[in-house]
Amino acid sequence: MNLHKFLFAVYPYIALTTFVIGCWIRYDHEQYTWKTDSSLLLSKRYMLVASNFFHIGVLGIFGGHFAGLVMPHALWTGLGISDMQHQWIAILAGAALGILALIGGTILLLRRLFNPRVRAASRYMDIFILAWLMLTLLFGLSTLPVSIGHAHHENPVVMLLLSQWVQSILTLNPQPELLEQVDGVYRAHLVLGITVFLLFPFTRLVHILTAPLNYLVRAYQIVRTKRSV
Amino acid sequence: MSHFLDRLKFFDKVKSTFAGDHGIVTAEDRKWEDAYRNRWRHDKVVRSTHGVNCTGGCSWKIFVKNGLVSFEMQQTDYPRTRDDLPNHEPRGCQRGASFSWYLYSPHRIKHPMIRGRLLNLYRAERKTGKDPVESWEAIQADPEKRKQYVAVRGLGGFVRTTWDEVNEIIAAANIYTIKKWGPDRIFGFSPIPAMSMISYAAGSRYLSLIGGACGSFYDWYCDLPAASPQTWGEQTDVPEAADWYNSTYLIITGANLPMTRTPDAHFATEVRYKGTKIVSMAPDYAEYVKFADLWMPIKQGTDSAAFLAMGHVALKEFHLQRKDPYFQEYARKYTDLPMQVILRKFETGYVTDRNLRASDFDGSLGQTNNPEWKTIVFDEKTSAFVAPTGSIGFRWGEEGKWNLLEKNGGSGAEICAQLSCIDQRDDVVPVGFPHFQPGESAMLYRNVPVRRLKLASGEEVLVASVFDLQVAQYGIDRGLGGDNVASSYDDPTVAYTPAWAASVTGVKAADIERTGREFAENASKTKGKSMIIMGAAINHWYHNDMSYRSIMNLLHMCGCVGQTGGGWAHYVGQEKLRPQAGWAPIAFALDWNRPPRHQNSTSYWYFHTDQWRYETLDADELQYPGAKGKYKGYRLADYNVVATRLGWLPSAPHYNRNPIELADEAYAAGATDEASVGKYVAQQLKEGKLDVAFADVDNPVNWPRNLFVWRGNLIGTSAKGHEYFLKHLLGAQNGVLQESGDGAGTKEVKWHEEAPTGKLDLMVDINFRLNSTGAYSDIILPTATWYEKNDLNTTDMHPFVHPIGEAVMPGWESKSDWQIFKTLAKTFSKLSEKHLGVRKDVVALPMQHDSAFELAQPFGQVQDWKRGDCEPIPGKTMPLIKVVERNYGDTYRKYIALGPLMTKLGNNIKGIDWNTDAEYEELKHLNHTVTEPGVSFGMPSLEEDIAVCDSVLRMAPETNGEVAHKSWSALSKKTGIDHHHLYAGRHEDKITFRDIVAQPRKIITAPTWSGIESEKVSYTAGYTNIHEHIPFRTLTGRAHFYQDHEWFLDFGEGFCAYRPPVDMKALGKLPAGVKKKPHLTLSWITPHSKWGIHSSYQDNLRMLTLFRGGPYVWISEDDAKSVGIADNDWVEAINANGATVARAVVSQRVPRGMALMYHAQEKNVNVPGSPSTGKRGGILNSVTRVVVKPTNMVGGYAQLAYGFNYYGTVGCQRDEMVVLHKIEDRDVDWLERPLTAEREAAPNPAGIGKR
Repeated sequence: MNLHKFLFAVYPYIALTTFVIGCWIRYDHEQYTWKTDSSLLLSKRYMLVASNFFHIGVLGIFGGHFAGLVMPHALWTGLGISDMQHQWIAILAGAALGILALIGGTILLLRRLFNPRVRAASRYMDIFILAWLMLTLLFGLSTLPVSIGHAHHENPVVMLLLSQWVQSILTLNPQPELLEQVDGVYRAHLVLGITVFLLFPFTRLVHILTAPLNYLVRAYQIVRTKRSV
Repeated sequence: MSHFLDRLKFFDKVKSTFAGDHGIVTAEDRKWEDAYRNRWRHDKVVRSTHGVNCTGGCSWKIFVKNGLVSFEMQQTDYPRTRDDLPNHEPRGCQRGASFSWYLYSPHRIKHPMIRGRLLNLYRAERKTGKDPVESWEAIQADPEKRKQYVAVRGLGGFVRTTWDEVNEIIAAANIYTIKKWGPDRIFGFSPIPAMSMISYAAGSRYLSLIGGACGSFYDWYCDLPAASPQTWGEQTDVPEAADWYNSTYLIITGANLPMTRTPDAHFATEVRYKGTKIVSMAPDYAEYVKFADLWMPIKQGTDSAAFLAMGHVALKEFHLQRKDPYFQEYARKYTDLPMQVILRKFETGYVTDRNLRASDFDGSLGQTNNPEWKTIVFDEKTSAFVAPTGSIGFRWGEEGKWNLLEKNGGSGAEICAQLSCIDQRDDVVPVGFPHFQPGESAMLYRNVPVRRLKLASGEEVLVASVFDLQVAQYGIDRGLGGDNVASSYDDPTVAYTPAWAASVTGVKAADIERTGREFAENASKTKGKSMIIMGAAINHWYHNDMSYRSIMNLLHMCGCVGQTGGGWAHYVGQEKLRPQAGWAPIAFALDWNRPPRHQNSTSYWYFHTDQWRYETLDADELQYPGAKGKYKGYRLADYNVVATRLGWLPSAPHYNRNPIELADEAYAAGATDEASVGKYVAQQLKEGKLDVAFADVDNPVNWPRNLFVWRGNLIGTSAKGHEYFLKHLLGAQNGVLQESGDGAGTKEVKWHEEAPTGKLDLMVDINFRLNSTGAYSDIILPTATWYEKNDLNTTDMHPFVHPIGEAVMPGWESKSDWQIFKTLAKTFSKLSEKHLGVRKDVVALPMQHDSAFELAQPFGQVQDWKRGDCEPIPGKTMPLIKVVERNYGDTYRKYIALGPLMTKLGNNIKGIDWNTDAEYEELKHLNHTVTEPGVSFGMPSLEEDIAVCDSVLRMAPETNGEVAHKSWSALSKKTGIDHHHLYAGRHEDKITFRDIVAQPRKIITAPTWSGIESEKVSYTAGYTNIHEHIPFRTLTGRAHFYQDHEWFLDFGEGFCAYRPPVDMKALGKLPAGVKKKPHLTLSWITPHSKWGIHSSYQDNLRMLTLFRGGPYVWISEDDAKSVGIADNDWVEAINANGATVARAVVSQRVPRGMALMYHAQEKNVNVPGSPSTGKRGGILNSVTRVVVKPTNMVGGYAQLAYGFNYYGTVGCQRDEMVVLHKIEDRDVDWLERPLTAEREAAPNPAGIGKR
């Protein structure tokens, strides 16, 4: 097995399995660690900009990736969106959201490293995961010129290859060869991105999986059944 | 089962609904609740309490989980009080509830620590083959080496070491010091034993065995009310808190009950529901003011003026106008008011002199035993002068007549002592009374009715009763004519009318008058149930004894002292070491050798930290015009030298020679026994070959060399004149902003132009937290916390004895104090066999109170052998000279066993002796015996902490009914009255350590104390004096209004007079930068904090979180506004003594003109540098300097005789003024810079030299 095959046919499964099982174990056994670890109490400076930019950016990017890579190609063509339109939307939205996340994330990272109170309250993993996300983001943004080049040549092939590869992984039929011709910067971004899933259960990122949305619709009073506990 | 799987059942969550779908029923997992259950789950609960300063004496449940202390909670299983009283529990406050934080906190000292530079030096010496003592000697002999570690005290640099090594170094230092300088150059300081008495006893036992001196604490903390020994011959005895509930009229002044007596404050609030009126006196809107009916906002430091004016009203209306029968009977029987005083001619009139004595009469009125010590009253029944029973002359040398039974001491006939001779007077003469109010005459002549009398000497004198003099001194017009008396309360020109007092105190005259009248009226109706609760705020002043005497006068006029619900209640730093008689022999090694070395700390630190060199107060200015003034021109330090020379106060070191060598010389010169050694010492003194150490205190020969501090924070919070400690004692970085010189001109103390710095060779701190004392020490030893050791704890707030309990093993490498000193003693013994062996040690013991030596110097007239008034005679005109043989190699074997003197000499307390053979035998079985061969083989073991606790309990009358029986029998013999009924129901009780672990136990009534444990009355001070007719331990045997000692009279304190705060003159040397800025000049008030001290400390994170997170100073809103200070700004308080930096709390609570910085705020948390000194911002005592008072030095004279923590100079600090100014945030410098050679070489502020 060569490295390419490992990275794009085996490693995704290691990462996703770790992601699912890791989160499960942590959710069951370490409930008190399932939290955002917010440092807002320690320092509020710049947080209005930094936190909002970062979260809006990152969530938007995640949504974009999900729509473009995981949703079936037929859905978009069926909605009348051509591949080229699709690509331009991806480029523009990705650039906008990416820059938003970049600004926010940079401030967050600097704050985490150099604000003495925040630094003192940071675990190694808190700094590492933020740095990792920023690295992944930077590679993601570096793909933009290449994608714009593709778009100028009216060539959506790479975009479609990436989508097909993701779907091949999710359908348990890995086709690493799809990525063999894809520009290196995409592949680097992919490896970094997959690693985020691998790291996910061991970081504060788990807070993404829980949101108290239920409060919006919950009943006024909640009581327990009489069954013995 | 799985939270994750449960989430998958999201849509199945709702089992049913109710209330129209507004409520749902679910079957969710409830495991999460376990987290909350587990928070309070625990493995065991152990009883303990908080150990050093807290007089609360609260029983706590300590909860242990997984081998760690998880939290504490109030115990609620006290025995009940009485049916008609609220119970004592729940006891405990927010501070106690926070203590567990320390066990696992970053402040915790976990291992033995030593200054790295010292360790390097020591190891280097050891490597060359020297033994430990030689190695220490090599370091001390080389000034460069010594300076290496001395100069960096307070600047960090500690390293971890082992117990073996650190014990070796300390023992070596002790041995070297004993050999080279003398054992009295080793000093130990630990406060207030009652709260963890075994821990205290550990260090004091070790020191007493090797000949080191233990420093007092109560007087040093200025918590000792000197007025109490002066008035009653009693250190301090106060009612238990429950007795507040028996009062029907309460005045509270200077004691912030809810703040500092938190667990007891409920008695004061509850008694209001019975209709008791509470009057509060406080300059600020203190917490206790809130539950008073009347608040008198009094100007700080003027309290005695208000109380004298209340006394004026009470005396006039109830003694002169109504002749209240209860008051008059009380005055006759229990006070010195009927005692006769000789008047001395002065100017055109008279001044008061000494009390008339039996020896003044022909044939001494038939008294052959101590006639000079029997005072005289005029008996109305026989119309003659008689010596009534009960005066101190009857206490010693005879039996059965030391009582207050209103009897003629000679014939035994009933008498009726006359208070006033106004109706049978021979004459009326003007008597001059000292007066100290600036702008008013310094002598106030008032007419007094007198009798004429011819003395045995042939001299004709005038005598007056204390009552007649006292009425005149209060400025009451009796129709005798003359000046300086008032017939109206509204006369503002005459002291002490309410109108006069109003002008001094700022309190409304009508309030003073009404309170005085109500107080007396209530006492008259209830037979004395009027009470005054008082404390630090009025006791921490230079003239605190005057403030207190003004209160005691009022109480005695109204017959309140000794009555349940009445009397004084002094609560600051007071303690009640209930089983004192059982504890003292162990604590001071009296079971092996007597006497121990004791030292009054205030004088000690005044000299050894060279604060005397800065003295601004002029003793002459404190005297009154009528003074005999034998010592005119003497500085305060000189007075103290006289006091040590005459055997009044102790001194450590004793003399400018090693006491071991002194003994050797005496024997070499032909001395054969103790008496001849005494003669030799006296001769040496007389010839000037030997001198008292304080006379040349800056000479290296007289420096203190080794200092142990355990259970305390001597440097961090207890150092009045903190910066002087740093400069002269420790040689550390300091903020003293002046050079010495004001104190020059001493006549007895030798002045060196160059002041010494860094006197101590070694300072050892034993603590569980790293505070400022540790930071300045050379060695820090880790001790067990209050939840990690077994110990005893008692208080005067309630009558129970309870334990400190070992809930968990001592953390890390820490050990209990008893074990620390035990291992140190072992190392010391081993090393000293070679270097010391068996030595004889000369101990100079001042004339002790409660011993026959309190009759050493009759008539209160100073006889100074150095001035040729008399010969130096040990035990008479100079200290007793005792020789103690010390086999240094046996120190450990003695430490671990209860020694043979307990059977040879027995036990004693307060002048009562009893045999303790039976208890000694019992302890052999209870504690087992020492198995180690040697001098202590087969004796009761003191190896384990619990064995020590049980030994104390077994030997004390309070915890062993049989000992109570023996001690009461001894006292009954002295008084001629049968007192056995007082403890009868509990004769068979024997309280053990296991008993008090099960439940706190009520103590047994003992003659140690003046109150009783009873089902009918609460414990109250003076109860047995009044109800059992046991005399007060004073000259007259009664409570004293009048002091007739020469020094008291010279300083104008024969009677209580109003004395304003003294001017400490510390504002003259401020930096120019501060003077230019807007600033405030404020008096410096240092009360107790709500968020620290006593059962916890201010640096406890939980306490810091509650308020400001660091030190702070309260100032008034108006003052703050006037110089642009906003709440929470950084401010600096500064004067010549140094500077302290804190946050400002701007509050309406505080009146103008006062800065209020809570006591014991540490400088180890959140304290930046001071811009003025360039050093760390300091503590509350950085701007204070201690000052001593000559009247507090008097000794060898009845109640004015020395006792450890009983009498002596007090460390007052409240007369100080500071300048306070704002520091801009940008100017705050945290001084977080590395140590450079330059910084190390500059210990003083810029521009200040070594002097």
